[in-house]
Amino acid sequence: MSNPRTSILKLRRRTFLAGAAASLVLAGRSFADAPVRGGTVVALAHPGEPNVLTSAVVQTGQVQSVSSKIFDGLITFGDNFEIKPELATKWTTSEDGKELRFDLRPGVRWHDGTPFTSADVKFTFESVWMKIHPRARATFAAVDVVETPDPLTVVFKLRNPSGVILGALNGLESTILPKHLYENTDIQTNPYNIKPVGTGPFRFKEWVRGDRIVLERNPDYWDAGKPYLDQVIYRVIPDATARYAAFESGAVQYGTLTPISLSDLGLAQKSDTLDVDFHGYEWLASAIVADFNVRRPPFNDVRVRRAVAHAIDLKAFVRVTTRGLAKPGTSPVLSTQTKFYAGEGLPEYTFDRAVADQLLDEAGYPKKPDGTRFATTIDWLPFGETFQRFAEFARQAFKAVGIEATIRNQDLPQFFRRVYSENDFDFTISHRAGLGDPQIGIDRVIWSKAILKDIPWSNGSGYSSPEMDKLIEAAHVAPNEDKRVELYKQIQVLAQRDIPTFTLAENKQFTVSSKKLRGLGTGSISVYDSLKDAWLEA
Amino acid sequence: MTTDSERDELPTDISIRVPNIVLRIFRSWRKFPLSLHIGLLILLFQLAVALLANTLYPQDPFELVGMPFMAPGEDPLFPLGTDILGRDIAAGVVHGSRVSLLVGFAATLIATIVGTTIGLVSGYFGGWVDHALMRLTELFQVIPHFLFAIILVSIMGADLSNIILAIGLTSWSMVARLARAETLALRELDFVKISVVMGGGHLRAILTHVLPNALPPVIVSASILTALAVLTEAGLAFFGMSDSNHVSWGSMIGASRDALLTAPYMTLIPGAAIVVAVMGFSLIGDGLGQILRRGHRI
Repeated sequence: MSNPRTSILKLRRRTFLAGAAASLVLAGRSFADAPVRGGTVVALAHPGEPNVLTSAVVQTGQVQSVSSKIFDGLITFGDNFEIKPELATKWTTSEDGKELRFDLRPGVRWHDGTPFTSADVKFTFESVWMKIHPRARATFAAVDVVETPDPLTVVFKLRNPSGVILGALNGLESTILPKHLYENTDIQTNPYNIKPVGTGPFRFKEWVRGDRIVLERNPDYWDAGKPYLDQVIYRVIPDATARYAAFESGAVQYGTLTPISLSDLGLAQKSDTLDVDFHGYEWLASAIVADFNVRRPPFNDVRVRRAVAHAIDLKAFVRVTTRGLAKPGTSPVLSTQTKFYAGEGLPEYTFDRAVADQLLDEAGYPKKPDGTRFATTIDWLPFGETFQRFAEFARQAFKAVGIEATIRNQDLPQFFRRVYSENDFDFTISHRAGLGDPQIGIDRVIWSKAILKDIPWSNGSGYSSPEMDKLIEAAHVAPNEDKRVELYKQIQVLAQRDIPTFTLAENKQFTVSSKKLRGLGTGSISVYDSLKDAWLEA
Repeated sequence: MTTDSERDELPTDISIRVPNIVLRIFRSWRKFPLSLHIGLLILLFQLAVALLANTLYPQDPFELVGMPFMAPGEDPLFPLGTDILGRDIAAGVVHGSRVSLLVGFAATLIATIVGTTIGLVSGYFGGWVDHALMRLTELFQVIPHFLFAIILVSIMGADLSNIILAIGLTSWSMVARLARAETLALRELDFVKISVVMGGGHLRAILTHVLPNALPPVIVSASILTALAVLTEAGLAFFGMSDSNHVSWGSMIGASRDALLTAPYMTLIPGAAIVVAVMGFSLIGDGLGQILRRGHRI
């Protein structure tokens, strides 16, 4: 961008009189596009208040939204998954593909002033990601060892080439924690999880539970001159109508992950003061899913699971519950993940109640005289009213084929405990992020080694199949990317056949922001933009 | 509500007078105050709707029967329109009357039984029993009832029986104080004392002499409690604390509140039903109170 001040000078020098009017117009325009320093952005903590503030420990949307302002990754994504430098300035892959070397940015400091070094990366890899991350075991399956030849170099030594690692090292999926604050502590209960120390553009200031989380400008940020904003304040507003009213009144300027109800979307799109953006969710690849508990009857029988898949009219589901915004699901890998999506050959579950009835009869659940077959429960992920509606839709679909379902309402910790700790559920309506690569997004729900007690977003269904494990583990050591893609196509077909998790819809999420909030990120992961380029129009 | 001066004039043959009041209620419909007439008509109408719900709308009210977001009158099939998921609002209102009545009556029953028992025991025995029970009652009185109900429901889980229990357990304190006040006056009267002196025992005295005479003001307060219970249920449901397996007016409002700006009819219609029902119970309470006051004079 040209400096507005010099352009005015030039104009004035050239034409004294006629130029004066023109310069004013030009100056006005260039000022409007030049970032302004200062100001506070109020953002929504959505879909609810986080429980910790670092996505190294919990990878739920509301945590990642805040964490992404405080932490950087080694790399980040531009448009179309283009990999861009962040804490790593350069990376090279060896010729045999078995070594991935990162040059770290010099002079980066943690918010407490300690220098950021390769030791932090190695520590987080070994003691955090590989220990308590639901997906890292699959993502980094090929990693043999992480070496740190000097403080500014990290080398991932691989057993075999891997196409998934580089992209997974973004700050959301692989959040780097400061070694000096986490070493020799219990990571999950470390006090810095709620007063995080990162390297990002904003640093943690205060957290008033139930009300607000305040982040302030990191004056020592490595990208000099940034961020432009003084503060980012996250507010918790539980009621959807109140959230829209807060946007409308200007009390809130930024909200991600579908921050307002779909009924109000039309109003927001027509508004003179608000922007609605569907971009930036490509990496997230959000899906609405139903998970079956395959450990116990009735859903331990694949015929019952298939019957359910035939009993739910997905076209009506997306039309009614998402007002046509989402697309019916066809595979655990979303059709938007074009590189991996199998398309042809996926088992299809057309909406057909007669088929469902037949499958349930075969599975040994005949209709009793009162018209019902068996009773079950639906637990829905408490991510707002829409998920309750998904559950209500499913209950009616169940009823039509003689399954009596009771809906259970609970809060997020209760839901996590029920599904991932106690495994005491039959059927859930939940959410699954595809996270750019099926090795990150999908393995963790169908790999037997991802059955991890107490870890949210792991294989909660308890699905375990030697055939599946073989395919997944073959993909982890695939000699080249083509082979890995091919294997993931087979994995999808098998997952769709055994259907431990039923992809109901490819979700379409959106961001709502004030038109005054400029410079928001546009990359494939910009739902979790760091806001380092964001500024407020005066 | 009875005042102290009226209570002082209570004749000693009060035990025969109460059944008379009950009889009179059924005999002299025309002498009823207007508020009782209207209140009873509303209640009867509501009972009829609740009883006939399955005849009027045999389908499950949760069934997604039409296009979502149809305004009232848009389609003659759905006179009150459809909600966010395309459920018939008329069917919801009709079936919802059952839950609202059930919650109203059941919670009131719990509150009345608990409150009357504590009030009777406390007032009759006095002394440390009275002290202990009244401190307990005060404990329940000072905690805002609605917040208390929210806490109970979130701990126990939002199913219908828990909601009823939570509302019942948070609203008995008023009944207890009322029953205690009545008992304090009654226990000094001769027929109660004589009953004990004749060897009838305290339990007998309480049940056959004190209870029937303490009951009229309790009944009046019960109808107010019912109105409050219906309101509390709606309030809980508005905050998402409703049983998703039973349609109630409150849950209809709760489910539609994020469409408040675009389709206000979805919340206004069940809201109107709540207003009418609560008004009905309040009018009954008011009317019974008037009769009670009149009863003392006759």
